Amino acid sequence: MHLRRNSRYLLTLLLCLGILMPAAVSAADEEHPYEAASSGYFRDQDILPGGYSLYRQDEAGRLWGGPSGGDIKRASFQADAHEGLDGYGRRSCVSCHETERYSLHTSRGNTSCVQCHRDKPIAGLYQYYSPMNPIRRHAYICAKCHEGSTASFATYVVHEPRPLKRDTAESFPLFYYAVWFMVILAVGVFAVFLPYVTLWGVRELIEMRSKGGGHNG
Amino acid sequence: MANIKRFTTVQRLSHFVLILTFMLLSVTGLAWMYIETGWGQGLANLFGGYIAVLEVHRITGLILLIGFALHIGYMLYNINWHGLPKSILGPDSLVFQKKDWLDFVQHLRWIVGLSKEPRFERWSWWEKFDYWAVWWGLLIVGVTGLMLYNPVLSSDYMPGWLLNIAVWVHRIEALLAMAHIFTIHFFVEHFRPRCFPFSATMFEGSKDIEHLRQEHPAWVERMEREGHLADVLVPPVPVPLRILHFVTGYALIALGVFLLVYAIINVTYLTLAF
Repeated sequence: MHLRRNSRYLLTLLLCLGILMPAAVSAADEEHPYEAASSGYFRDQDILPGGYSLYRQDEAGRLWGGPSGGDIKRASFQADAHEGLDGYGRRSCVSCHETERYSLHTSRGNTSCVQCHRDKPIAGLYQYYSPMNPIRRHAYICAKCHEGSTASFATYVVHEPRPLKRDTAESFPLFYYAVWFMVILAVGVFAVFLPYVTLWGVRELIEMRSKGGGHNG
Repeated sequence: MANIKRFTTVQRLSHFVLILTFMLLSVTGLAWMYIETGWGQGLANLFGGYIAVLEVHRITGLILLIGFALHIGYMLYNINWHGLPKSILGPDSLVFQKKDWLDFVQHLRWIVGLSKEPRFERWSWWEKFDYWAVWWGLLIVGVTGLMLYNPVLSSDYMPGWLLNIAVWVHRIEALLAMAHIFTIHFFVEHFRPRCFPFSATMFEGSKDIEHLRQEHPAWVERMEREGHLADVLVPPVPVPLRILHFVTGYALIALGVFLLVYAIINVTYLTLAF
């Protein structure tokens, strides 16, 4: 009976520890700077890792042909996405992230990488406290320039895939098919009309030559 | 020689507003698209730089959409609702009909020398195509343009990733429209041998009867047969006005060709990846 009671206490203690431990590890030692800077508005999501509702929204978007995150790399969950990378400090971002070099933000707005992928070390996109995390990206990153930015707005794909590439049919289907549709429409119009009007002009020229005159404007 | 009245003042004015807004949108839109190049920056500087050119583009787009809405009102007002569907299926209507398809096929056969020239009624198939192409184009650039007008606001009503699609659709449709106007439309209306060097019908509102007997014989004959040809005869436009139309027209054509040529030359300097 005594032993049983003891073991019951022990079990309860272990259970409590089990529940409290993960929270204690992430929140207890020190307040994360991003959390300190938080308006508090995202506090529900900040303290509940289960509340990644935007990931579920991503899935809903995919049903409608929206973008998918693709394969999320393990580094995307690290506090320092480039941890342990040889010679990291001496490299430029695009020396590795070549495909991310161009976007409307860089070509039109002259934005540099670190204006959005800010602070050091650069956290992985999905790291829990990363400013780039979809739960706060709109507020921490987009709103720096786009006043009033919302989570929906932040689903705009800044580094968009090449719309006509085959891979895009999987990563962002609606984008792929819409752009292909427009390209076929545009090319189709010219494929029909350019030869058509050229032959038409030749036909009228021949007609005028044979009649020896025509009507002007 | 007498002219036949072909367009009313409202119609000519509509077309002129369409020209002005279209050209302004083309210049500001290309300035925006080509801002990485010296050419694009030069165009943007005409309006006071990058930010200002965007604002001019947005406001001009709104003016064009308002014009489009007014046109729809004008069209609805002018439909004879009691005589439907006959009233919109007559020879004066711009609605596509079976004859247009037959005309198109016969026109093609005429071009390659297999048939006689089709006898067009008031509107030939390409005139109808040009009219409805503005509808299709305006609907596409208009809807996507409104989506992009205030992206933060519009993403309250749709997922933000739709803006990725809107940008490309807007861009491709705009390029299609510009390239079509600056090549096909200019060629068919001004540069093909029968119209060269300039057809001012849409500016003057009328066209000389001999030209129309060749281009729209069935229309002229119908009016003669029904006895109201005399009602649509107007005197030719005075020479000073014709010079003004010619100079204005050629300035606009030159602007269009300039935009087209420089857009093609500079395209390799863009970092847009398809």
